[in-house]
Amino acid sequence: MGIHSVGTSDVEAVRRVLGGDTDAYATLVARYRDRLARYAVHMLGNREDAEEALQDAFVRAYRSLERCDDGARFGAWLYGILVNRCRTTGARAAKRGRVFVRDEAALNGVAHPSAAEQTEGEDVVRWALARLTPEYREAFLLKHVEDLEYEEMAQLTGAGVSALKMRVKRAREQLQTILREAERV
Amino acid sequence: MFEPDEELIGRVVRQLRRPVTVDAGLDARVMEQIGRLPARRTGGPVRATWRWIIRPRTIRLSPLGALAIAAVFVAVVLWRPDRPSRPASARAFGFVVVAPRAATVSLVGDFNDWDAARTPMQRTRKDESVWTAVIPLTPGRYRYAFLVDGVAWLADPAAPAARDDEFGAPSSVVTVGGS
Repeated sequence: MGIHSVGTSDVEAVRRVLGGDTDAYATLVARYRDRLARYAVHMLGNREDAEEALQDAFVRAYRSLERCDDGARFGAWLYGILVNRCRTTGARAAKRGRVFVRDEAALNGVAHPSAAEQTEGEDVVRWALARLTPEYREAFLLKHVEDLEYEEMAQLTGAGVSALKMRVKRAREQLQTILREAERV
Repeated sequence: MFEPDEELIGRVVRQLRRPVTVDAGLDARVMEQIGRLPARRTGGPVRATWRWIIRPRTIRLSPLGALAIAAVFVAVVLWRPDRPSRPASARAFGFVVVAPRAATVSLVGDFNDWDAARTPMQRTRKDESVWTAVIPLTPGRYRYAFLVDGVAWLADPAAPAARDDEFGAPSSVVTVGGS
């Protein structure tokens, strides 16, 4: 899975939190913050909403930590919560009319690649990603960016494997079409 | 026909996989929010054990394993070693024989262990030469005969003769069907 368990460290941290050691949760937050932030920022398109979803996911995970069947799989479990929070936050943002507002602050939060890698322009990729439907964007990010297996994606999203494969395929086709049109302009 | 451009998609993926950082204060905000929540009740080993018992789990099972479990379940449901066999519904069955010179007539057969004392037949009021007996019989095949005056075996002239006569005496057979 893209969000790999960290073995006994997660198990121990989860055990301590369940035993009443609230501070042990800080270890888990620090460990997973940046990895989850990447998905949230790309999914929601701006850092403000991403941080809101991320914070909400961490707090919800803490409150329902007893439901985490296996401490070694805390990361995957937390990821599932974040995927749901991103859906909720994204839907709320859409109602507000801010479907995907490109956010300079979010771009500033991206670690700078080498000059050679930056030549194609990140804005175009983000703009293209934003034009996908949330379902296609979610499937594409989980499969290609977070590197999950389809079975893992099915567990996280509740969608069937064949539906997810179709979404990823359509997302790839649409991204390709959008980016080629952008190159011609 | 759509031509997939793997190089283009690969470029997009590489770009999206770059690390993203968020506000460093996020951790503090999360911990502050958690700190305002009611303290987690731990409850010691009893509560932990109870949590372990009631916690839902996902069980992965191969089709063969599922089949085996289903077979065991069916076997357990159907297996009742101490369950008394439920008697099939019995129906009254009448036997009639004409024996004008008989003093006594008994109905004997598989249903009463060929015991002459268990099912004595009665004369009818209208015709004293006619003897009758009515007994309950559950569905099955029975061999029977009439024992006249305790000595003479008489097969039922109105019924098929039993082929598997192991006693050397004439007997008849009756088959009672289920309802």
